[in-house]
Amino acid sequence: MRGLFFGLLFRGLFVLTGTAVVTFSLLWNAPGDPALSIALARFDALVTPDLVEEIRKEVGFDQGFWSAFWYWLQPLMVGDFGNSSVTGRAVLPDLLVTASYTVPLALTALCIGLVMSIVLAIFATKKPGGWLDRFAVGIASVGAAIPAYWLGLLLILLFAVHLSWLPAMGARTPSHAILPALTLALGVTAALTRIIRSGILEARSQSFLPAFRRRGVSDKSIERAHIVPHAAIPVITVSGLELAFLLEGAVMVEVIFSRPGLGTFLINAIDARDFPQVQAAVIVIALVFVIVNLFIDLIYQYIDPRIGKQDA
Amino acid sequence: MTLSVSGLTSTRSGRTILYPTSLTFEPGARIGLVGSSGSGKSTLGHVLIDTLRAQGELVAHVPQSPDEALDPLRRLDFHWREAEVAMNTEHDRQKQEKLFDALHIKGADLTKRPWSWSRGMQQRFVIAMALIGTPSLIILDEPTSALDPVVAADTMKLLQEYLSHKNTAMLFITHDLGLASKHVDRLMVMHEGKIVEDATTQDILQTPKTEAAKLLSSHKSWLSLPC
Amino acid sequence: MLKLDKVCVERGPIFTLDEVSLTLNSKQTLMVVGESGAGKSTLIAAILGLIKLSSGTISWNNAPVKICRPTLVMQEPRAAFNPVYNLRQSVMEPIIARKMKVAPDRIQKLCDGLELPQALLDRKPYEVSIGQAQRVGILRALIASPSLVLFDEPLSALDAITQKHTARLISDLQDEEGFAALVVTHDLGYAAAHGDAIAVLKNGQVEECADAGQFIESPKTNYGKELRDAAFALGALGALGTLSAPESENVCVTGSK
Repeated sequence: MRGLFFGLLFRGLFVLTGTAVVTFSLLWNAPGDPALSIALARFDALVTPDLVEEIRKEVGFDQGFWSAFWYWLQPLMVGDFGNSSVTGRAVLPDLLVTASYTVPLALTALCIGLVMSIVLAIFATKKPGGWLDRFAVGIASVGAAIPAYWLGLLLILLFAVHLSWLPAMGARTPSHAILPALTLALGVTAALTRIIRSGILEARSQSFLPAFRRRGVSDKSIERAHIVPHAAIPVITVSGLELAFLLEGAVMVEVIFSRPGLGTFLINAIDARDFPQVQAAVIVIALVFVIVNLFIDLIYQYIDPRIGKQDA
Repeated sequence: MTLSVSGLTSTRSGRTILYPTSLTFEPGARIGLVGSSGSGKSTLGHVLIDTLRAQGELVAHVPQSPDEALDPLRRLDFHWREAEVAMNTEHDRQKQEKLFDALHIKGADLTKRPWSWSRGMQQRFVIAMALIGTPSLIILDEPTSALDPVVAADTMKLLQEYLSHKNTAMLFITHDLGLASKHVDRLMVMHEGKIVEDATTQDILQTPKTEAAKLLSSHKSWLSLPC
Repeated sequence: MLKLDKVCVERGPIFTLDEVSLTLNSKQTLMVVGESGAGKSTLIAAILGLIKLSSGTISWNNAPVKICRPTLVMQEPRAAFNPVYNLRQSVMEPIIARKMKVAPDRIQKLCDGLELPQALLDRKPYEVSIGQAQRVGILRALIASPSLVLFDEPLSALDAITQKHTARLISDLQDEEGFAALVVTHDLGYAAAHGDAIAVLKNGQVEECADAGQFIESPKTNYGKELRDAAFALGALGALGTLSAPESENVCVTGSK
C-alpha cells in the first residue's frame, strides 16, 4: 500500500515536472531574447539591461535549455513566484486571495451538482427506458447545451432584478455565491447525470447479485452494500475532474457575476503579458489537478484494490 | 421435514423454459438433476429456491462459479455476517469454525476480498455460507465445473462428510450423469423443460427408459463409450 | 515431430516452465493435464511463440517451431471470435492474413468432417450454439492444413454429450488430416480416452509422462495418483481397465524428475 502511494506521488511529480518544462519552453521559445524573458519572469518590474546580461552569463546560454530551466525553476520550487510586472507586488499572495474566492464557489457548485445529478439519475433508473428516464437524461443534455453566460444572465434577471432575492454581482457575502454556484452546478449536473445513471445500471447488472437475493439478503442491503459502492467508482472519477475544472476558474461565470477568480486572474495576466502571474497561475492549476487525481487514485485503492493492477 | 413444491414453471419471451413441475424432498435426500445444456435444469434450480424461500423455508443455492456468488468489492467477513443476518441466525462463532473446519478453510484470512483466495477456497466458502443455519435443502448448480478436478473431488467429499448425519437434503444439478451418479441415490433426467425420468441412480444407469436418459447414460464416462 | 528440449520460462523469480521436455509425432495426441497455475497455458503460449523462452528450444523436425505454423483452439468458443464478423469471415482470416491459397472445397470438406452445415458460417458467433461455435473454431484452426494443432481446454465449455461427440470428430479429423495434437485439459477421462500419451504438469515441471492407458492403470508419481483418483471420484473414468494401451511410437521423452 505504501509502495503504491509513493508510486502515485512519483507520477504526480512527473506530471508537475512536465508542466513546468512545457511552461518554460513557451518562455524560451517566445520571440525575442530568452534571457530577457526569464529576467522578466523573475524580476520583472525591476529588470535592467545589466540584470539581463548577468542572467545570460549566469545561466550560460551555450549550455542551453536545461540549465536555464533549472535556474528558472529553483525559486518556484520554494514558492517564490516573483513579482507581478503590472503591480510590482508579490504574485503569490494575490493568487491566494483570488483562490479564496474560487475554492468555496467550486466546492459549492460541485456539491449542488452532485446532489442534483444523483437525484436525477435515481429517478432515471427507476424504470430504465421509461419516460422518466428519458426526461431526466434530457434535462442533463439540455444543461450541457445551455451556455453559462446565458443561464447566469437569466438567473440574475429573475432572482436579482425581478424578485430581488439575491445579489447580482460581487463576492462580498456568501449569498453572493448562490447564483454563480447554481449556474456552474448546471454544467456539473450535465456531466454527472449520465455517468451516474450508467454506473447504477451497470452496478445493478452485476452477475453475482441474484445469488445474494437468493441468499435472502434484503433488497435494501443489496442496494446499500453491493450496488452503491460499485456505482460510485465512475462517479468519483468524474467528480474529481469536474472539481479540477471548477477550481481552475470558470471565466464566464466570474465575468458575468463580477467575481474575482482564478480564471479572470489568468486571463488578465495573459492579456497584460504578466509572465510571473501567468506562470504562477498555470503551475497552481496543474498542482490542483495532480492533487485531485492523487486523491481519486487513493480512494480507488480503498474501494477496489484491483484497479490499476495488471491481472485484475 | 419433507419439502414439497408444485407448479414450478418459467417462461421467457413467450417460450416455456420450464413446464409445471412438482418436487418433493425428504430430509437427508440426495437427488441429482441431470440434463444437457438448454434442458432447463439451472432454471429449475433458480425457480425452486425462489419458490421455497417464498414459502418461508430455509434453503440455499450454490451457483456454478464463485464469481457469481461473491462481491469482489467486499470482504469475506462482511459476506458472512450479511448471510447470517439474511438467514435470521445469530452470529455463532463455534458453528462457523466447525463449518470452516469441515470444508478445509479453517484459519484463512477473512478480512480479505474474495479474489485473494484460490477459486477452490472461494467455492467452499460459498458452500459454507449456504450451510449457515442448517438449511432443509441445499441446491448445487454444477458445483465442480469451475474447479480443478482434485479440488472438486475434495470439495464434494468434504461436503458429503459434513452432510452425512444431518437432515439437509441435497439437489445436485449437472450435465454430467457420471458425476451425479457418484453423489446421489436418486436421479431426475431433464429434457426440454420437463422431467422425463425419475428413478434410483442404479436404475437410470442400468435400465434407462427414455431417449434422453439413454443418451446421457451412454455418454456418462469416457472409458465405457460404444465407439 | 514436435520437440521441447529443457524449455524454461521465467516470470520474475518464478519458473512458470521448468526444464520441460516433451516430444510429439504427427497423427498423435499428447494430453497435458495439471491444475490451474501449473503452466499449461504458458506451455501453449511458448509453442506458439507468444512468449520468450529463458532457455531451451522448441523445434519441429529440428527447425524452429514456427515453421509448422501451429494453430490454436481455445476454451471459450464464442469469445474466440470477433462478434462483428460472421463466422465465415473469421474462418477465412488466417488464410487472408497469410496470403495463402486454399482449395475451393476445403471449407466444405471440413464442414462435412465437423458435421456443420455450411450455411451456419454466415451467422454471427452468438447466433449459434456453443457446440457449433467450438466446431467452427476447430474449422478455423484446420483450414490452413497445419501440422500441429494446440487445444486449450477445448471441451470445458460443452456439456457431457457434446464433449464426447466433439472429441470423436477431432479424433477422426486427426486420422484424416494427419496433424499432431497437443491438448491441454483437466479432464483425465478425456485424456485417457483420446490421448496417446499423458503428461502431468505441476509447478512448471513435467511430473510424469506416459502412455495414456498405462498412466490410468498405474500412475507412477503420487501427484499422478491423486489426479487419477480425483477423476475417478468425479465419475470421469467409468469402469477402469477398459482402455487398452495403444501401440504407438514413444510419444513422450523423459518424465523429468
